[in-house]
Amino acid sequence: MSANITASRRHWLQVLTASSLGLSASGWLPQLASAAAGDPTRKRSCILLWMNGGPSQTDTFDPKPEHKNGGPFRAISTATPGLFLGEHLSKLATHSEKLAVIRSMETREGDHGRATFHLRTGNLPQGAIQFPVLGSLVANERQESHDLPGFISVTPPRLFAPESISAGFLGPRFAPLMVGREAPADYRVDAGGGVLKVQDLERARGIDSLRSQDRLELLTELTQDFTKTHPGLGTAGHRTAYEQARRLMQPEAASAFDLDQEPAALRDRYGRHRFGQGCLLARRLIERKVPFVEVTLGGWDTHDDNFKKVADLCNVLDPAWSTLLDDLSTRGLLDDTLVVCMGEFGRTPGINPRQGRDHYPHAWSVVLSGGGIRGGSIAGRTGSDGMIVEDRPTSVPDLLATILLALGLDPRKQNMSNVNRPIRLADPDAKPLSEILA
Amino acid sequence: MSPLLRVTIGLALLMAVAESPLVLFAQTPSESELAAKIDQRIEEVLAAQSVTVSVPADDYEFLRRASLDLTGRIPTVREVHQFVADQRADKRAILINELLERPRHAMHLARVWRDWLVPELATIPEARYFQQGFEAWLAAKFRDRIGYDRIVQELLSVPLPGTKEQAEYVFRQADRPNALAFFAVKDAAPDKLAATSTRAFLSIQLECAQCHNHPFAEWRQEQFWNQAAFFSGIERQGDGLFAPLTEDPLRRSVSPGEGKPLVSPAYLFGRGEQLDPKDATRAAFAQWLTARDNPYFARSAVNRVWAMLFGVGLVHPIDDFHDQNPASHPEIFEELSQSFAAANYDFDFLFRVLCQTKAYQRTSVWTATEVPDHRLYARMATKGLSADQAWDSLSLAVGWTTTTKDRDADASDRLTGRRRFLEQFTPRSWPADPETSISQALSLMNGGLLSRVTHIDQSRTLIAATETPGWTDDERLTALYLASLGRPPQQLELEKLRQYLSRSSDHAGRYEDIFWMLLNSSEFRLNH
Repeated sequence: MSANITASRRHWLQVLTASSLGLSASGWLPQLASAAAGDPTRKRSCILLWMNGGPSQTDTFDPKPEHKNGGPFRAISTATPGLFLGEHLSKLATHSEKLAVIRSMETREGDHGRATFHLRTGNLPQGAIQFPVLGSLVANERQESHDLPGFISVTPPRLFAPESISAGFLGPRFAPLMVGREAPADYRVDAGGGVLKVQDLERARGIDSLRSQDRLELLTELTQDFTKTHPGLGTAGHRTAYEQARRLMQPEAASAFDLDQEPAALRDRYGRHRFGQGCLLARRLIERKVPFVEVTLGGWDTHDDNFKKVADLCNVLDPAWSTLLDDLSTRGLLDDTLVVCMGEFGRTPGINPRQGRDHYPHAWSVVLSGGGIRGGSIAGRTGSDGMIVEDRPTSVPDLLATILLALGLDPRKQNMSNVNRPIRLADPDAKPLSEILA
Repeated sequence: MSPLLRVTIGLALLMAVAESPLVLFAQTPSESELAAKIDQRIEEVLAAQSVTVSVPADDYEFLRRASLDLTGRIPTVREVHQFVADQRADKRAILINELLERPRHAMHLARVWRDWLVPELATIPEARYFQQGFEAWLAAKFRDRIGYDRIVQELLSVPLPGTKEQAEYVFRQADRPNALAFFAVKDAAPDKLAATSTRAFLSIQLECAQCHNHPFAEWRQEQFWNQAAFFSGIERQGDGLFAPLTEDPLRRSVSPGEGKPLVSPAYLFGRGEQLDPKDATRAAFAQWLTARDNPYFARSAVNRVWAMLFGVGLVHPIDDFHDQNPASHPEIFEELSQSFAAANYDFDFLFRVLCQTKAYQRTSVWTATEVPDHRLYARMATKGLSADQAWDSLSLAVGWTTTTKDRDADASDRLTGRRRFLEQFTPRSWPADPETSISQALSLMNGGLLSRVTHIDQSRTLIAATETPGWTDDERLTALYLASLGRPPQQLELEKLRQYLSRSSDHAGRYEDIFWMLLNSSEFRLNH
């Protein structure tokens, strides 16, 4: 038994070595995927689809067609017994065997800022403690040496609290690399695809590659002495950041962001808007072993005209997410990638006079898809009017611990915080939803 | 022993020490005596651990460090020349006094305290509108040499304009000095105001007790709400940071949550004083907080100033005093705190004492293989720069001056540049962690700002260095080094740079490259 594991581990390492020697991506990826499947310490990457503003669960993942709260949308059936989705998620409905839907999120915060912080870090703001967001925690756990950073945020959310995209006490090394400008608060200005670029990745105007090379060599040579005589975080961190930046500027790494390398038909399927193209970019980054990528879709704060807006947003989300699942599957990456779709809270089951739905943290939904989970499963249940959770109330720590376990990480692992106290990846009281884990 | 009993005894001991300074110290030592005592104690600890100390910093290193620490930016080329040429034996002490006299010192101190008190001002977009007025308020206090205890009293008991019937907006002119930012940005919320006050002024973290009893220090949940109750009359009339604030002096209790009984104000510790029902609660809280016999008040401030200068607090993290987080040098801590209180809570007193210690004046260079714990102070720590320090130093190094031209388009460009820079480089802590992110590196390597200021047509420094007639290459290089790093290049560096210049016919371009290298170097980006 143990010999088998050793053998498979060795094989796995060989594959890794081969990949770092620069064999072409198309050749080694499927091989790596199958090798990793047998590895007992396997870790999964994560794509977080961040639904900024708080999506309406009633119109998406927990429809109530028989109740007046259900609104005008039909519910469509899926291959999973008991799983109905809002009518504007018809493509995703055909992927139900890849989804685990949590319908019993029960959280406390109805304020965008605090709720965003809560969902993204697993904690409520607590004095001086600088909690890192999930992406930074994962990047810290998965410090493998690659050309790309461990946490990349595509069209970073326009956040109500900047702490909600911070590496906190883990330090700037684990802060997200931002790609593209902030996701627009209103999806309607998002037409056309936008440009997904890392800021300042290209050389300054007038500086050719030769000169850039000269400058970097000069920098290395002339700062060597200072670095050597000032050992510590300051010089080491500076050197690491410049080295990572330099690697990121290399054509091979920078090409990860070049979506023109993808077939036009595939780009069309993802959707020619920033979010769709962002999901495609996420797949390219995951393929290059970035452990955590988030892509933001803003506009879910639908206090008025909810149904028109949700329909439009679903028309962005549905093709992007389902194409992403298809694409990952085709490339043998699906089982290695957890795709999470969540916002900071849900919305009121009741419909307000402006045909809108307001903030509602008491009973809402989050969906996990892809690897590490039991596809075709549903956790928890809300009542017939959607107002309360009737089964398996799920807290933020419960959710975070579940995600971490699906990624192959130990939620009890501790990091030293800025206030000199060890803090676990997820709150020790968390009760992970083991019933939906693979 | 019960936790409560333990903390009571602990506090009693602290109080005893605080109340009887005459027994411990026959007279208040002079500044230089105090500095000598600090050095003596630090050296005893170093000797006990057989750690050797590094040599004193040379004039260049000392000037750059003191300028950054006391005025928030690097020295000018002229200041470097003057200081190095100065032959007086006590020129370092003279420099310290001069730096403390500058208006920039008050502004720097104001910005540091801004980050400690209301860090949101630098990070939340809407809160930035309050920044200028709040900094100006603090800077005016520091410039007028108002004691720290009085500043805190004024801040906490600042009158809130208007009444519920006639609410007044929080500010009409963003740049007029005012302290209301503190209340507005904390959402006028009693719990936030109490938590910030005890953390900022006493280094006691009560926030964890907001939801449950504190796991490490022995603060109970009720005590958290007792403190919040001092702020219970404050109310915001409307939504958003700019909505009017009012105070109902008759409301003297706070609700910890729906359905829970109201909690009244009660001092966190002390000799059992009761709050007089006639007293204004905030003013009473401020009096108790800043009282001479509150042992935490002076210590908290001393620890912060120490961390500003040494990169790490005597107690660290700096805002978390409790039993299990002892001071590295308790005797120093105690004596400094008492002297600070005796000096009427004058920060400049602390700066004068600490900056003249040998510990502060040691070089940051370390060549031995084993790096000692920096809480031993064997060498000067390498500190990060705050976004303000980095921006002001960069502006100075490239030769931007504040002249009438500031009103032109270029200046407004620069303001946008400053805003973006501050957003990108604002650290999440003070003293700033000396860390660099990939985005920061990319921005300095390739970004528009750096490429503009290292363009031969755009930087006065570069123009002066390259176009002054009659200079040799060595003199031009020296000018660039002095402007950016505050020191001349060493022989070995000159040799490498001469070679670099000779490898291309584009002389101006090569100078641009060298200036780019200097501004991207860790030596420029760090305070060492």
